Amino acid sequence: MPKRRKCLPCLSGLALLAGALLVAPVSAAPKRVMSLNLCTDQLAMTLAGPDQLVSVSFLAREPGLSMLHEEARSYPANHGLAEEVFLENPDLVVTGTYSLHNTTALLKRLGFHVEEFSFAQTLETIPGEVRRMGALIGQEKRAQAIADDFTRELETIAAGQCGKDPTMIAYDQNGIASGRGTLADSVMQAAGFANLAADMGVIGVAPFPLEQVIAAHPDVISIGAPQKAPTLGEFVTRHPAIGALPDTRIGAFVPEASLSCGIPSVIEAVRALAALRTEIAPCHGNAAQ
Amino acid sequence: MKLCMSLILLVFVLFVVSLLVGPAELRVEDSIAGLFAGGSEAAAIIMREIRLPRALLGLAIGMSLGLSGAVLQGFLRNPLAEPGVIGVSSMAALGAVLVFYSGLAGSSLYALPAGALIGALLAILVLLAIAARQGSTLTLILAGVALSSLAGALTALVLNLSPNPFASYEIIFWLLGSLKDRSMEHVALALPLMAAGWFLIALSARAIDALSLGEEAASSLGISMSLTRFLIVAGVALCVGAATAVTGTIGFIGLVIPHLIRPLTNRMPSSLLLPAGLGGAALLLAADIAARIVLPAGELNVGVLTALIGAPFFLWLVVRARREML
Repeated sequence: MPKRRKCLPCLSGLALLAGALLVAPVSAAPKRVMSLNLCTDQLAMTLAGPDQLVSVSFLAREPGLSMLHEEARSYPANHGLAEEVFLENPDLVVTGTYSLHNTTALLKRLGFHVEEFSFAQTLETIPGEVRRMGALIGQEKRAQAIADDFTRELETIAAGQCGKDPTMIAYDQNGIASGRGTLADSVMQAAGFANLAADMGVIGVAPFPLEQVIAAHPDVISIGAPQKAPTLGEFVTRHPAIGALPDTRIGAFVPEASLSCGIPSVIEAVRALAALRTEIAPCHGNAAQ
Repeated sequence: MKLCMSLILLVFVLFVVSLLVGPAELRVEDSIAGLFAGGSEAAAIIMREIRLPRALLGLAIGMSLGLSGAVLQGFLRNPLAEPGVIGVSSMAALGAVLVFYSGLAGSSLYALPAGALIGALLAILVLLAIAARQGSTLTLILAGVALSSLAGALTALVLNLSPNPFASYEIIFWLLGSLKDRSMEHVALALPLMAAGWFLIALSARAIDALSLGEEAASSLGISMSLTRFLIVAGVALCVGAATAVTGTIGFIGLVIPHLIRPLTNRMPSSLLLPAGLGGAALLLAADIAARIVLPAGELNVGVLTALIGAPFFLWLVVRARREML
C-alpha cells in the first residue's frame, strides 16, 4: 500500500497546520474582524473591543431581526459578499454555517481565516458560543464574565418557579410553531412554561394547524408584534378563533427580535416570560418551598 | 330542474363533509353540537370560527367561478374562456397584492377586494378590447396567456420587494390559492360582492341566449349590447375579484364545470348558468376536502388540485377544438 504510506506525512502536516490555526487566535488577537451573519454580528458586537470590528451585516440594523440594531448603526454594513471581504482584507471572518455556503467556500479558498458558527442555537449553546467568539477575537475574560452572568441568571430564574408549568405556544406568521430544538423552546422551558408544540412532537420550526391550537387550549399564545409592512400570514395569528379562546393570554410577550439568535441578550426574553409566569402562577407563601 | 336538484343535493353533502374534515379530528356528534348548540368550548370555536367560514367560502367561491366561466363562454362564444385561463384571476391577484402589500390601506383586509376588483375589471376590459370583436378563439386565449404571465411575474416582484421578509412566502398563496385559516371576516368581506356579481350575471341570462344567434340577431330582438356587456363585465369582475381577494388564484373551475354540465342541459347558455354555479361549488368543496386529506401532515394548496384536474381537461378541449376545425 504505497499510496497510504505516502499520505502519512501529509496527514501529519495537516494536523500540525490545524494545531497552528487553533493556537493562532489565542496568541495574537485579530485586529480587524468582519462578520457576515446576523447572529455572529450580535455576538461580535457584544464582545469586540473598540475598532476591532470592521463591519457587520446589513441585517444587524433591522429592528425586527436584531436585538442590537441600534449598536449596529455605529458599524459599517456589509451584504455578505466575497468582494466586500476581499476589499476589506480582515484578519478574521465570522459567519454562520447556515448562510452563504458559496461565499464561505470561496473565502476559504482565497486564504481568509473564516470561522463558522452553527445555526442550531438554544439557551444551552449560548455560553459556549460566547466563549468561542471570545477566544477567537482575544476577549476571553469579557466572554467568560458574560457567559457566567448568563448561566447564573438562568439558575436564579429557574429557582423562582413553583407549581405546575402553564402551557404555551409560540405561534407565528402563517401558523408556524417552534418545537423541540429551537431557541424559543429552550426559552419557554427556562421561563417555566410547557411548550405545547414540543409536547405534541413538533421538531424545529414547523406548521401547526390552527384547529389544534384551539383544541389544545394553551394558557398562553405568544405571537409576533405586527410589522410595518403587512402580510397575510399575520392574520393567522390574529384569527378570530384564537381571540375567542377564554382565559388564554395572547400577545407579543417577548421583546422584538429576541428569539432570532442565540446571544446573551436572549436573557431579556427569558426574563419577560418568567415575569408572565409569576403573574399566571404566583408563588403563595409555602408553595415556594 | 332535476339536474339542479341533484346538484343541490351534491353541494349539500360536500358542504357537510367539508365541515367534518380537519386536523383537530373532532367526532361527528361533537362537531354538530359545536356548530349548533354549545358542545365543548373548543369544538364550538373550531366549528364556528374555522370550519364554517371555510365551507361557506368554498361554496360561494366555487359558485362564482363556475358561473363566471359559464357566462364568459356564452358571451364570448368561446369554449376555452374561463377567468383563470384568460388572465382575469391573475390580474385580480396582482391588484390585491399591489394594494395590500404596499401598505396603502394600513394592514386592513378591506384593501384586498378593492385591489382585486380593479385588477379583474382592467383585465376584462383589456381582453374585450383585444379579442371580443373578431371572436377568434385563439386571440382571446393568447391575450389571456400574456396577461396571466405578466400579472404572475409582477405579483412575484411586488411580494419580493416588500420590506417584510415573510411576504415572499405568500407568492404560493397568490398563484395557487388556498382556503386555509380563513375567517368569518373573509366571508363578510367577499360574500356580498359575490352575491352582487351573481345577480348581475343572472340579469344577463336572456341576452346571452339571444347572443348565441349572433350580435345582429340579438339587437333585432331588442337586446342592448352595451347593457349586456356592462352586466357581464361587472358581474364577472365582482365574482372573480372578490373570490381571488380572499383565496388567491384558483384556476380551471370555470372551464371544467360548464363543459361537464352543458351536455346535461338543453344547451341554451342561460339554462347552463345555475347548474354551472352549483357544479363549481361542488368541485371546489370536493377539491378543498381532498387538499386537507391527501397529505397527513399539513395540507395542499387547493389551486394545485384544481390545476391537476383542469389542465389536462384544457389540453383535451384544445385537441378537440383543433379536430373540429380540420
